[in-house]
Parts: sequence; structure tokens; C-alpha cells
Amino acid sequence: MMGRIWALFLRYMYQFLKPDQFSEFFYWPAIDIFLWGMTSVWIQHQDPGSHLAAAILTGLIFWQILWRASFEITMSLLQEFWNRNLVNLFSTPLKLHEWIFSLLFLGSVKIVISLLFGSLFVYILYSLNVFSLGWIFLPYAALLMLSGWFIGFLAAGIMICYGQRTQSLAWMTAYLFAPFSAVFYPVEVLPTWAQKIAYCLPTTYVFEGMRQLLLTQLFSWQPILMSLGLNVLYLGASITFFVVMFEKSRNKGLSRLE
Amino acid sequence: MHKLWGFGTCLKTPSFFDTERDSRIDFFSLFNMVLAVRNLRKVYKTNKTSFVAVDDVSFDLAPGEILGLLGPNGAGKTTTIQLLLSTLKPTSGSIHYFGKDFFKYRSEILNDVVFASTYVSLPYTLTVSQNLDIFGRLYGISGKELVTRIDPLLDRFGLLDKKKNRVATLSAGQVTRLMLVKAFMVRPKIVLLDEPTASLDPDIAQEVCQFVLEQRDTHGTSILITSHNMTEVSELCDRVLFLKNGKIIADDLPDRLARSVSRCRMQLVIVDGVKRTQAVADMLQMPYRLDHKMIEITLDESEIANLLQNLAARAVVYTSIAIIQPTLEDYFLKMVGKKI
Repeated sequence: MMGRIWALFLRYMYQFLKPDQFSEFFYWPAIDIFLWGMTSVWIQHQDPGSHLAAAILTGLIFWQILWRASFEITMSLLQEFWNRNLVNLFSTPLKLHEWIFSLLFLGSVKIVISLLFGSLFVYILYSLNVFSLGWIFLPYAALLMLSGWFIGFLAAGIMICYGQRTQSLAWMTAYLFAPFSAVFYPVEVLPTWAQKIAYCLPTTYVFEGMRQLLLTQLFSWQPILMSLGLNVLYLGASITFFVVMFEKSRNKGLSRLE
Repeated sequence: MHKLWGFGTCLKTPSFFDTERDSRIDFFSLFNMVLAVRNLRKVYKTNKTSFVAVDDVSFDLAPGEILGLLGPNGAGKTTTIQLLLSTLKPTSGSIHYFGKDFFKYRSEILNDVVFASTYVSLPYTLTVSQNLDIFGRLYGISGKELVTRIDPLLDRFGLLDKKKNRVATLSAGQVTRLMLVKAFMVRPKIVLLDEPTASLDPDIAQEVCQFVLEQRDTHGTSILITSHNMTEVSELCDRVLFLKNGKIIADDLPDRLARSVSRCRMQLVIVDGVKRTQAVADMLQMPYRLDHKMIEITLDESEIANLLQNLAARAVVYTSIAIIQPTLEDYFLKMVGKKI
């Protein structure tokens, strides 16, 4: 089992290390950090006493974690569509849960790389050390990774059943959750109906908790536990959804997806 | 040869398969055949209609047997292969490999059952060796063992110097050969080949056929192959299943299938006595076709001597004679409803 998980991890890492993929992995986060960072610096100059710039930049880096976690799952699936490799893979002894584990492992490794790169870039450009809060940021990052995975498997479940015509979900789905997750602004600014949705999402508790920590230096376990509970629930549900949709797809034939 | 499973099955291989169907045959087949397919059915349902792609298909694959799956486009060949790989779920029926239920022991079974097709590819941005490394690991083969297995195969298929090349730089024929390397590096017990020579030049296709036969002869590999190349199927296969509209309509030796629909054709270029030749053909009730000095007479093999004697008796002079045996292609064309 471990050999097959490792094989798939290698399959995606070989692909990742190709110049086009490797540069893209760093290009978009770098552009985001530069654009939003400069915007934050400008806001900071308007109101020097606030922590607004730090809140926006930290939100940005943490949003990258969620988006990257989601995108790794959906993009790995798309790679198999585009390479006409899905039938090849699933005509080997590979089991579906091994493929899922390999994606989670791959996602974890890439998120660590992404996080380190983003933090270093922010430090170089804006002298902001996101680690200055200590290692307390780690649970937040881990929770966002779980949220990214649940969103990723949700999108992948639809893609594995309906094929390449739904491939834009790979990019879109995570952003569907962004307005309700209070990434850059507090939940209170959302309309009431949107706040109800926001409090059903594990991401909201992470961004709210993180902002509270940045602005008030007060750490609370409550948002972390709320987020963890919802993440476990949603991730379990989305993986189940993916497995059900995979079986539904197998009923129609995997070869039609290529 | 006797019937097995009521399809008129005839095997060139072991005689112990020559058993009349009886109550013990199911048990016998299930545990002695490397593959036993029973009542396999695949129905695609849409909102209002349903389409039967594979309709109650049953067959066996014996150890070391090369079985051809023939049929026109849409007959259900590729669907059957997909069902045998579990990349498509059947509506009903059973598949047993090595006596084990495929639906229960899928992963374990697929360690010994591999697949290669012209219609699937490999990650094109990865190199040949990276791809083989990944697929080797999926079958539990890695490191030096993998290299010792793949290098001779790559060499055999003319790809050794392409090892570091990306798959995207290979031609379609080279990718097909790479798929075969990927399949055979596992040293499988069963290989499912879907149109393995479709994109290959004739010399390479011949080499692939030779290789397949060698694998069967040296390792006892059983092979299920689909192909549109009838000559290839005739040369390779011990037995042929003919599918039409999802059903098996014939299960026999390739040459017996050919003879079942068509007789010999004798072509003579007549120097003197065209009318006398026509008269002989009419007398013997043999259909013929005349094209200037060339006459083509359709007859059974056993009638050839009689025809030639009659022509000699009437002093017919001819410069060339050719006897054309019926081929599997004749059978194919007949079955798909085209004129031979």
C-alpha cells in the first residue's frame, strides 16, 4: 500500500518539478503578495496606527494555503484527464483510498513549500514576519489545509463524474467559499444571511481567530476547536461524496473522461 | 474438438479442455481457467432509453491461450476489456481470475493482469523512465529490479535510447510500444491488449506479434487481444470470439470461422478455352466470375482436383492458377454484412 502511495506521490512530484509547473507554483502567489501587499502598505500609510496591513497580508498567505490544498486535489485529477492516464492508473492494483492518501500527502508537502515561500517573500518585501506570533499559527495553517481538502474533494467529486466540462471547478470552487470565510474582513461586515453561512464554515473561525490574535494578541482555543470539528465533519463528508461519485463514474466508464 | 460452454469452443492448446459441458464444468472452468466470465452484461441507461453494450457474454481464457476479440465498431470489444479491468462496472454477471472473484479481490488480481492500449496514453511531460518507474512501483517493482526488467524490453522495442526523453516527444507508434513495455515489465499472467498494433508500421507490428507469441511460449502468459487486423488475429490467436451488438455470435478457431462463411476461390488465366471453362463450371454447379481472360471459380477444396481434371479433359489451356483460401477477413465482412 505504501509503495503505491509513494508511486503516485512521485508521479505528481515529477510533474511538479517540470519548469512550467514549478514556476507557476511560485508565480501566482508572488504576484498576489506583491499586489495585495502594496495595497496594504498604502492603507497602512493612511492609518499608521492600525494592524490592517498585517491582517490583510496574513489573510492572503493563509488563503493561499486553503486554495493550494484545494487546487492540488482538483489539478491532480485534471492532470490524469489531460494525460489520458486515468484508465492506466485504475487498471493497476491501485485502490481509490491509496490515491486519496497520496493526494493528501502531496498536498501537505506542497503547502509547506508554499507557506515557506510566501512567508519568505512577505518578509523580504514588507519586513513582516508571519512567524512572529510563534508556532501558534501552525494549527491555523493545518485547519485551512483540511478546509482546502474538503473543498478540493467536493469539486473533484463533481469533476470525476461529469468530466472535463466541469474542469473550471478546479479554480472556482475555493473562491466560492472566500466571500463567506472572512478572509480579509470581519464576519460582522457581512449581511445577516451571509453571516449564517459564514458560521457554518470552518474557514471563518480560522480567519476570525487569526485576526483576533493579530489585533489583540489574545489567543483562544474556541475558534480552533469549532473549525476542527467542522473540518472533520466536512472532510469526511466530501471524501465520501468523492468515493460515491467515483463509483458513479465507474458505472459510466472511466475511459469516457479521457 | 468438442464444444465447451456451447459456443463451439475449440482450443489448439491442452486437450483437457476438450470436455463436454456438464454440471461440473462451472466449477472446473472457474478454478482451472485463468479467466472465467459469466453472463456479463452492461446496460447504459439514459433518461428515456437504455443501450445494451455487452449482452450476456460468457467465455473462458485458458492458461497460455491467446484469445482474439473481434467485431465491428461498437460491438462491445473495448467495453468488455474495460469491464475486465474494473474501470467500468458491469450491470450484472461475474468475472473470476485465477478462480477468484474479481469484484472482491480486484487489487490483488490486478498484480498479475495488465493492460495496454493504443487509445490510452501516459503522462506526456514525464520521461519514459519516470513513467516506467511510477508504474513499476504501482506493481511493487522498483530500483535495480525494475531496471533489469525494463532495459531489455526497451531495447527490444527500439526505445532504449529514448529513456530520458519526454513521452510528448515520442511518436504515436513509440507510445504504443512504451505501453507494451509498461505492460510486460510486470511479467503478468494475463495481458489484455486493446488494438496493440493499430498505430504501428507493419514491420514493428510483426515484431510485436512475435514478442507476444514468445511471451506466451516462454512464460505461459495468457493474452486477450482486440484487433482490426485480421491477418494478425489469424496468426496470433488460438481462438477467436466474434462480438456483434454486444453478444458473442461465434467462438472458434480462426480458420474454422473463415471456412464457415466462405469457400476457396480458384483464379485461372485462360489462354485457350474460356467458354469451355464456363461450361465446366456450369456443369459442376460452381459459381464463377469472368474478367476478360481471368476466371474466378468458387468451390470447396475437395472439388479442386475434379475441376482441374475436367478442364484438362476439355483441353483448356491456362497460364496461371491461384487458389485463394477463405480468410478471417471474409468472415468479418460477412458478419458485418458487407459483400466479400
